[in-house]
Amino acid sequence: MRGDRLFITVMLGPALIILALFYLWPMVENLRVSFTDLTLLRLRVGGQWIGLANYEEFITSPETGRLMMNTFIWLTAISVAVRLLLGLAIALIVNTPLVRHLRLATLARIAILVPWATPPVVAIIIWRWLLEAPNGALNSVLLALGLIDTPIAFLADLRTVWPSVIAIVVWNTVPLIALSLLASLQAVPADLYEAAELDGATRSAKFWHITLPFLKPTIVVLGLTSVFWTFNNFVYVWLATGAGPGTFTNVLATEIYIRSFVDFRLGYGAAIGIVMALIMAVFGYFYFRMIGRRQIEEVL
Amino acid sequence: MIFKHLTACLGIGARGVIGALMVGAALLPGVAQAADPVTLTFRFNDPEQKEMRAALDAFEKANPGIKVNLERMAWKDARDQFLREAAVGETPDVVHIAFVWAKEMGEAGALAPLDALIKAKPPGKGLSDFIAMDLATGKNGKVYALPWTTDTWAMVYRTDLLDQAGVKTLPTTWDDLRQASRDVHAKTGKTGFGFPAGSASSGSLWFLANYNWWSNGKALIVEKDKTFSVGVDKADVVGTMNYFKSYLDNGDTPKSMLGVSDWADPVIIRGLADGTIAIGIMPPASFREAINAYTAANPGKAAPFKSGPVPKGTTVGTSHLGGRMLGISATSKHPEEAWKLVQFLNDPSIFTGAYKSQFPAQRSLLQSVDFGPELKGFAEQLTHARTWGPYAEGPYAMGSMWNLTGRAFGAALSGQTSVDAAAGDLLTQIGKLNAGR
Amino acid sequence: MTLTSAPLNRDPDVTSHWHRRMFGRPGRLFEPLLILAGLLAILFALVYPMVFILLGSFKTQGGLLASATAFTWANYITLFTGGFGRFLVNSLVICVAATALSTLVSVNAAYVFSRFRFRGKGLIFGSVLFGQMFPWIVLVNPLFILLTQAGFTNSYTGMIFCYTAISIPFSVYMLTGYLATVPRELDEAALIDGASRYQVVWRIVFPVLMPGIVSTATYAFMLCWTEYLFALAFLTKPAVQTLPIGLYQLFGDDRADWGAVMAASVVTTIPTLLLFLPLQARLSSGLTAGAVK
Repeated sequence: MRGDRLFITVMLGPALIILALFYLWPMVENLRVSFTDLTLLRLRVGGQWIGLANYEEFITSPETGRLMMNTFIWLTAISVAVRLLLGLAIALIVNTPLVRHLRLATLARIAILVPWATPPVVAIIIWRWLLEAPNGALNSVLLALGLIDTPIAFLADLRTVWPSVIAIVVWNTVPLIALSLLASLQAVPADLYEAAELDGATRSAKFWHITLPFLKPTIVVLGLTSVFWTFNNFVYVWLATGAGPGTFTNVLATEIYIRSFVDFRLGYGAAIGIVMALIMAVFGYFYFRMIGRRQIEEVL
Repeated sequence: MIFKHLTACLGIGARGVIGALMVGAALLPGVAQAADPVTLTFRFNDPEQKEMRAALDAFEKANPGIKVNLERMAWKDARDQFLREAAVGETPDVVHIAFVWAKEMGEAGALAPLDALIKAKPPGKGLSDFIAMDLATGKNGKVYALPWTTDTWAMVYRTDLLDQAGVKTLPTTWDDLRQASRDVHAKTGKTGFGFPAGSASSGSLWFLANYNWWSNGKALIVEKDKTFSVGVDKADVVGTMNYFKSYLDNGDTPKSMLGVSDWADPVIIRGLADGTIAIGIMPPASFREAINAYTAANPGKAAPFKSGPVPKGTTVGTSHLGGRMLGISATSKHPEEAWKLVQFLNDPSIFTGAYKSQFPAQRSLLQSVDFGPELKGFAEQLTHARTWGPYAEGPYAMGSMWNLTGRAFGAALSGQTSVDAAAGDLLTQIGKLNAGR
Repeated sequence: MTLTSAPLNRDPDVTSHWHRRMFGRPGRLFEPLLILAGLLAILFALVYPMVFILLGSFKTQGGLLASATAFTWANYITLFTGGFGRFLVNSLVICVAATALSTLVSVNAAYVFSRFRFRGKGLIFGSVLFGQMFPWIVLVNPLFILLTQAGFTNSYTGMIFCYTAISIPFSVYMLTGYLATVPRELDEAALIDGASRYQVVWRIVFPVLMPGIVSTATYAFMLCWTEYLFALAFLTKPAVQTLPIGLYQLFGDDRADWGAVMAASVVTTIPTLLLFLPLQARLSSGLTAGAVK
């Protein structure tokens, strides 16, 4: 229908034009730069075409293994897993009849909002102070409780630096998960539980067979969206540890920053960016294969 | 058809499409680009924004045809932001830069050569009165920036803690310093030498490592007949790493310092102010912060602080001559007015009024600065400070060396890798920088 | 009040059932205690960092450097006489405009994705979502060049479009999901009554979709409010700079006013909190409607 076609164009056009300009064009430009030796000092004149040299250097670099490990395992996998588990725990606790009965749920939901309303830059500053040694609040508490004898430099000690960074990320991002899961929990039909109780189901059985399956779609969506956000995130690691001690917490996004804006090698930084986008695209492909396909088919 | 539409959009070119797209948004407020007389933008990165604004108001009054907008960029981002802007010609007119940026920015075409302006209206008491002109001059002999302020690092001490520890004289060698730090820790339980041992890209270890090499007559980058090379060997690097590592291993510098990269980190400033750190190393502005913090907490009491030269500082000159310059952007439309502003900013009254945290880079003014008793060590050290010389002139990018050195030392000091491996890795990486440019 | 109208507290059956359980059976008291302890621990961990900042913002140097801890407004005075109010206004203008624009554009796009079949739809939908998967940091330079050429650095307009672009992918994704829960019969009935497609979208679907729109807009707002990479590069004049940049600048290299940093953190966080409070009950129920489907 001609009318529909016009309608589709008008409705879809603005979004696509904005995305084309602010995403597609810079992405294409970035792809081009990744094949050059462009530096920040020569941004005006432009770089020389060097083919795949940047990619080759990145792939063969001895650093790359650890960068991948840090980005995949520590920054992304563990932090997303902790976030989901903690978010689930918060949602379950807030949703218990006891908490509802005592009318604490609203208070809890307001409290959950606090970290979310805190911009990451602020969150990191606060946590750096809390984790500081020897006077930071956490050290003071642990010392007072007798759990440790000497203060721990949480963001400097190889044993604690990753858990600390993850703690910051989780604190700042768990509210989204907790509130979403809380909303889903409230949508679980009460008669399902009643029926199960009549059958004599234990509480853990009810959790595993009713609650969890009901939450699963939300968990999967939240988990995967969180993966995208976290994988590409540069701010947490950069401002919390500066990728240190040494290069211990360096991740792909901070490596891009160091290469592009410390070493001025824009071409090399661009190549890492392309590799990251490809990794996420592959990931995204499986994402849609696994859960998105059903959703897309139903939705579209 | 959507695709056709899209390709059509891209075909028109970014400028046209954005323009069309933003017709509707044009009513939204933006920055007014006032056309009346001449508007200069001055990017000033230090905290004295209010004081500087007041000075600029005076400048505007004296020069009715010129208006100056003040803006600020965090030092960490100032360098790459200006290069980015210069590439597209969207720059402030007068920029505040670090000593070591002038050459590269000039040679990259981002800063305008000042020779003609200097010749027409020489600044202050003439160019020869300005220190560090070597860093302001490009390979082609052109002057790209005017040194504005200078400082260097010096050692700072809590005299009360030194007294308690029985340290009678201020350390003059690295071994003295090592011993003093150990004594303080052993006798008072406090931190001895509280140096920032973190490995961020712009961390402090870079300075400490170089001071140490310089005092041994070495340098990371050396020049001979215009050929630049790495001037330290693995043993030198290992030696320096082990020296600083021994503080952490012995505990007179707490391991928590590995998480502190910034010389002005509150951990250090507070430590000095509340007497949990006895010895520090920093620029004068940070030392003043510590003194101020002490005075605020202990009103009426004399601050128990002293500054002194860095180890071997006055014999072989082992601190860096740091400072800021003023440059005029190559794409400034008003270089003459900008030069007028630069000259105004070099007036003696600026350094006694709006901008007191730094010392003037003019020899004649520097002599008359009243450093006060606490900053005596800085005054002494300043006359012996050395410029980066070959570091800035050679093919090795300063920012990259700074980053690599911080990373390697951080790796060694934190135990991420062995000292040996970290030292070897550092030299390999620095070596690659020469090939890379 | 919106907060108490949440469906949480209204389940007399469950409540009384638990009441019996809690108080009717001896020996099971440890469980409620455990739940309450867990709840308190969680609430404390979530809120304490912000309380720390709030208290610090009323002390000289944030209480970090000086041991003097007398109450003072000085940090806030320093902050606002130093022009921080400007950043707050800029952030509000840019984020509200970008949120409105992105939500508007996304509702339209989502409606098309949800209601029409056309060639290349899957590909276009996939490409829109791809925007979520790209590290923004590599976009800084190309975008800077683009914006400069168009004369849109240091302008509200450029930043608004930039933020619109970064919030579109997620917004479209969420809204398409929400729209699937709005019955198509609604559209069809209106069309039969003679309404145009545009009228259907704005008069029929929009009101029904409101909770979804509110929650999507909140996400978009948060994204803009906390963004600092682009703002750092694209906004250099204090007249247009946003809160995260103003905050970031308070850390000098040689010294920093920690009291002002804390006050600035509070000023940066409070508006979002105020924005959330009236929305939160709606937000949490609207949030997953799309995803759960």
